[in-house]
Amino acid sequence: MKKRSWAEPYKIKMVEPVFMTTRKDRERYIEEAGYNTFLLRSKDVYIDLLTDSGTSAMSDRQWAGMMLGDEAYAGSINYYNLEDAVSKYYGYKHLIPTHQGRGAEHILSKILIKPGDFVPGNMYFTTTRLHQELAGGTFVDVIVDEAHDSESEFPFKGNVNLQKLDNLIKEKGADKIPYVCIATTVNMAGGQPISLKNLKEVRDLANTYGIKIVHDMTRVAENAFLIQQREEGYSKKSVAEITREICDLTDAATMSAKKDALVNIGGFLAVNDDEVFEEARNMVVVYEGLHTYGGMAGRDMQAMAIGISESVQDEHMRARVGQVYYLGEKLLEAGIPIVRPIGSHGVFIDAQKFLSHLSQDQFPAQTLAAEIYLDSGVRTMERGVVSAGRNKTTGEHNYPKLELVRLTLPRRVYTQAHMDVIAESIIEVYNNRANIKGLNMVFEPKYLRFFQAKFEQIN
Amino acid sequence: MIHKTTIEPFKIKSVEPISLSTEEQRISYLEKAHYNTFLLNSDEVIIDFLTDSGTSAMSADQWAGVLRGDESYAGSRSWHAMRDAVQFLTGMEFILPTHQGRAAERIIYNFLGGEGKIFISNTHFDTTRANIEYSGAEAIDIPCAEAEDSASDFPFKGDLDISKLEQLITEKKAENIGAVIVTVTNNSGGGQPVSMSNMQQVTQLCKKHNVLTFLDCCRVAENSYFIKHKEPGFENKTYEEIAQQTFNYFDGAVMSAKKDALVNMGGFLALRDKSIADPCSNMLIITEGFATYGGLSGRDMEALAIGIKEVFDPYYLAYRIKSTAYLGNRLSEMGVPVVLPIGGHAVYIDAKKLYNHILVKEYPGQALVCELYLKGGIRTVEIGSVMFGKYDANGDLIPAPHELVRLAIPRRVYTQSHIEYVIETFEEILKTKGQAQGFKIFEESQYLRHFTAKFKKA
Repeated sequence: MKKRSWAEPYKIKMVEPVFMTTRKDRERYIEEAGYNTFLLRSKDVYIDLLTDSGTSAMSDRQWAGMMLGDEAYAGSINYYNLEDAVSKYYGYKHLIPTHQGRGAEHILSKILIKPGDFVPGNMYFTTTRLHQELAGGTFVDVIVDEAHDSESEFPFKGNVNLQKLDNLIKEKGADKIPYVCIATTVNMAGGQPISLKNLKEVRDLANTYGIKIVHDMTRVAENAFLIQQREEGYSKKSVAEITREICDLTDAATMSAKKDALVNIGGFLAVNDDEVFEEARNMVVVYEGLHTYGGMAGRDMQAMAIGISESVQDEHMRARVGQVYYLGEKLLEAGIPIVRPIGSHGVFIDAQKFLSHLSQDQFPAQTLAAEIYLDSGVRTMERGVVSAGRNKTTGEHNYPKLELVRLTLPRRVYTQAHMDVIAESIIEVYNNRANIKGLNMVFEPKYLRFFQAKFEQIN
Repeated sequence: MIHKTTIEPFKIKSVEPISLSTEEQRISYLEKAHYNTFLLNSDEVIIDFLTDSGTSAMSADQWAGVLRGDESYAGSRSWHAMRDAVQFLTGMEFILPTHQGRAAERIIYNFLGGEGKIFISNTHFDTTRANIEYSGAEAIDIPCAEAEDSASDFPFKGDLDISKLEQLITEKKAENIGAVIVTVTNNSGGGQPVSMSNMQQVTQLCKKHNVLTFLDCCRVAENSYFIKHKEPGFENKTYEEIAQQTFNYFDGAVMSAKKDALVNMGGFLALRDKSIADPCSNMLIITEGFATYGGLSGRDMEALAIGIKEVFDPYYLAYRIKSTAYLGNRLSEMGVPVVLPIGGHAVYIDAKKLYNHILVKEYPGQALVCELYLKGGIRTVEIGSVMFGKYDANGDLIPAPHELVRLAIPRRVYTQSHIEYVIETFEEILKTKGQAQGFKIFEESQYLRHFTAKFKKA
């Protein structure tokens, strides 16, 4: 990507104070939180890079939309506005709103997956895989090998390895594969995009066997921007055009609107198939809410409709991804091992390389996230062995090839000065890395353990 | 001087225009919606009495809370505000935030339910029943005898029938009972309150047999109002104290905060027992969201924390209950058969009595719902055989015990002149009642069919 400054295409209209703490305070807070950054209280955090999910700053237009919220239980005007936005920018035929992305995953998995099915995808995501498993399916990773190599400069690490996918279909039979799950971008690989060329090939292969493609589209516009920057033949196309082209190659989508769509809550299921739609519409009433609100307030649907239109603007994406690059390049210059190429929604530190003296059983990424917090109050997230959980049958840890700490940037929230503080802190921790000791897990929940697990420092 | 007039203890800060329509336009809107008012667009409605759920006007203080909302994914300040407020009210330790009430119900009733289990309640509401039946369990209603008589003015028609409860526990065996659920106020039974003494008896009996008890507390403040004014011994307690005492009896509570917490979105599950809370918390994270937001935005948690306190303001509750009674009593005086006494959040019309010329299998309630919309653009909901009817093996309708139409009044939204307009519409309804026609369903889904069913004229 061509280096250029990313001056924001907006100015600040409303601010929220952040709280400063001392190292002594933080030592107490992180110990109380069991060395799990998820368990810190937000008031004890200085710069919050835990997630880009639901943490965006909304625009004044979105806030104005909040005041236009029509809270009628049935047939709210905001629902129809959202339906129009989804159809205009993403092109899917039917919309089912849900309170957030996992509500959509829950419903879709229940409808499409039968016990004994296999669901191939371009790398797992925690909640997605869990819903597939709860419905009786087994997730199979068919991402390209480069995705697991943090040093590879391959520009489309979100691509599917077509051979792996074809082998799986041949081995299990097409009737055991309800759909291929394609994420844009691939979060667990470091926010890496899939190319349109690859997606078209997946589409062709899926057509051969009559298999559906479900689009996990939470960062589709960011993926579109990276295609515009990296893929041959797309530099003249707009983010909006590329976004639409991606969606058009898929049959259904689950959306956590808390990412790309610039809202604090909300999601949806979108499908082209009439029968799946009917079934989903009946199910959403039981689990989420009536099909014209699905668990969202009217105002939140309105904010989402506006947010979707803002998210596909080229200038917005340039500033968004530009900020991630600014931080990532600062770290690269200092020699910090990060996943390359830099992704769209965050910078991912290779904790295994950063803390090369720790074994994976000592939870290097969990350790590093705690150390960064201790140094500066910056909150990051583990995406390594803790997140990967245990093998369903053997009960052993799943040891992912990538042991990462994720620095996720909320959209439109932090400034360049915040980025400088983050970079300085990580460089400081890197310089003292030899003194860092690992962690023991002392409490482990059954599902999605990374959220609530507790640790102690190894003495 | 002591005033007779009950004024709203607030003034209006922000308004939302109503789009007016002609009767001619409404004929075509209703046809397009297949005579199901759930399928109308909201801008085709003049007065929306479909539900009091999520339709409240928030206060300036709540809107300020909306702006203060802390959207941090984990450990948000707004979560702490909500947790503290709910703990203070319920006295329960484990609070699980959910995007709305039915998610809390799904989590707890799936955990306690399943094939072979039964749940007992004064009356299960539609989403509660759906969640229980979806898990494979059975839902049994045991309202007190007075609840069956829409003309009786017994003050606590929401009470459970204690002797039936005892009988069920013996018959079905305590270990097969998922839980006993007391809904305050009893929505499906006419918004009728439950007395403190009844709740005390129910929970004592259950405790003796080791049966879990849950309070569906979505209108607990309104229920507390009735207890204070109608049950001896509570005259000197505050509404909040009465609510706290209510929670005291129960093992857990579910709340759709869209009612008495005065918010547009939100709910929670509250529990005392860690061994139930832990697996429920797992399920919360999988299907709703992380334990410190559960599918709610920070701003919604902030608004909930404020609303759940505001609702106990004595001036607010007096206005709320008295303005609902005003509509109900006026209709009753005109000769409209309403469920007496008037409940807290809604006025219920006995459609079977009003339209005694329409067969139950042709849904007299749905007929009244359609007439009210056509004549006045008033949207209401049927609570009768459309919502709760079932089919027997031959495909014949097993009707619900009542054919009611609910006029649910959103909190702090409509003024007295809106109410006068509704009363005027009922004058016309009474004049033309002989012309009303029944309906048949031609398309429906297995669960919660009333939301999406399509009708044609019988």
